[in-house]
Amino acid sequence: MVLNGKKSKDIAKKNDLNEDKLIEFRNVSKRYKELLALENISFTIQKGEIFGYIGPNGAGKTTTIKILVGLIKDYKGNVYINGINTKNNWKNLHNLIGYHPQEAGFQEWRTIDHAFKTFGCLSGLNSESIEKRIQETLELLNLSQERYKKITHLSGGMFQKLRLGQALLHKPQILVLDEPLSGLDPQMRYQFKKIIKELARSGTTILFSSHILSDVQDIADKIGILNQGQIKDIGSPENLQNKFHIGNIIELIVAENTPLCEGLEDLSEIEYVEKVKLNKQLVHLKSEINIDLVIYLIMNKLKEQNCKIRNFSLVKPSLEEVYLNYVRGETK
Amino acid sequence: MSLKLFFFDELKGYAKSKVMLVLWFGLPLLSFLIQFVNPAELEGMPISFLVAIVVSSIGGTLSVIMLSTTIVSEKNRHVYELFLIRPVRRSSLILAKFFAVYLCLVIAVSISLTIGLLFDAITGDLIENYLNITFESLIVGISSMAITCSIGIMFGVLVSSVPLAAILSVYLGSQLSSLIILPTFFIPGLNTEVLALTLGITLTIVIMGINILLFNRKQF
Repeated sequence: MVLNGKKSKDIAKKNDLNEDKLIEFRNVSKRYKELLALENISFTIQKGEIFGYIGPNGAGKTTTIKILVGLIKDYKGNVYINGINTKNNWKNLHNLIGYHPQEAGFQEWRTIDHAFKTFGCLSGLNSESIEKRIQETLELLNLSQERYKKITHLSGGMFQKLRLGQALLHKPQILVLDEPLSGLDPQMRYQFKKIIKELARSGTTILFSSHILSDVQDIADKIGILNQGQIKDIGSPENLQNKFHIGNIIELIVAENTPLCEGLEDLSEIEYVEKVKLNKQLVHLKSEINIDLVIYLIMNKLKEQNCKIRNFSLVKPSLEEVYLNYVRGETK
Repeated sequence: MSLKLFFFDELKGYAKSKVMLVLWFGLPLLSFLIQFVNPAELEGMPISFLVAIVVSSIGGTLSVIMLSTTIVSEKNRHVYELFLIRPVRRSSLILAKFFAVYLCLVIAVSISLTIGLLFDAITGDLIENYLNITFESLIVGISSMAITCSIGIMFGVLVSSVPLAAILSVYLGSQLSSLIILPTFFIPGLNTEVLALTLGITLTIVIMGINILLFNRKQF
């Protein structure tokens, strides 16, 4: 399902009704010479919300993020932070944001301590606060032992932590994370997700981009799906799954050692029946059907056959299916 | 505020990465070595004069290479993004680099020349005529180094490959800076020191102005 311009505007309007918004993108477009990287995107993020921004490579996620953090200033439309239009107002807004870039290096001669002192100073912290915040941040990230190590001597995972650390150093209200979990081992991913959730609980508003859907599903309160520079849909993971009727599948489980139900294919509303296990089958329904009527017809059929049903449930599409449908729908 | 911080950071960086060590001790050492390798042709020439010539010519090339390759490499590794998301002026980043490298070179020249003069005083080779020429070479060298530093920054901002930046720096960097003494060949009676200083300061300001404009327009 692809949203047209009208539906996209409806989403934006719905979001406008909420007054607690901290970030707002209003009809933002960005072009790189021939390439239209972002096309009229609009969305809002509420205070304390974790907003997962997903989309395939090249969809425009990093461009959106760079506009939000002020690295790209040449774009059409408006971006508001705390109700302030970011155009020409960056002076007072920079310190509200912490940014974890997808790629960012540090000057190789720096130690973590030296890098953090410079970033702290640039973010306007005084020397006492810098010391306090460096200790707190390093403890949070389990990097205290590495404080005086040269950055070039850190492992990949530690380097990623360092990127997160510099974003957290000045206790920003908004944390913008561009693919923060890519390249991390499972333990580190778990640790990162825990930190992100804790930060959100303490009131930090978080936007994070990823193409790893399970991570988004685990953390995000709201998800924006981006493809080819357009926002395809926005909602909570549950809402997206509920509103997306991919094939409408019914799972049927019968009692052990009893035959599976036969003849369901005879119903015109049914696409096909898939036998998954000896006692489990998946009934794939046609699209554009009255779901209540179909359930009634299937129930009748099962009753006629005296099937010993143990489970009858409508299978929700996974977030991955929702996402793929948006992406494939566009590329077909 | 950010300019001062970046400037001292750059100096610390050069100190920690041994760049200063190589400049401050390498250049005078090189001058001595030349004297010992080919003493016949340099008969009677004071060490201080030789140092001024060597340091000025090599220092210019070193500065343009150092600045251009460092900036390209830092651009490619997205180092600047972490600074630019904070309330800093973009121009501070390149101005700090310019001043830090220039200061390092001026100190290198001063150390080299002091050692050379001391050496000449001890050996009794200090000749007044050569002192004047040494001073002239020094002024021309310092002025041209300011220009090469600004040209190095321009290459760094414009180019995106480290080898290309290095090649351009060697081919063009120090050669362009020698433009400041060209007028003396065509217009007799011009004061070389005054001309070098005037053109050095003017061209450096113009080139750095262009650099700041280019860097401000750069998308990271």
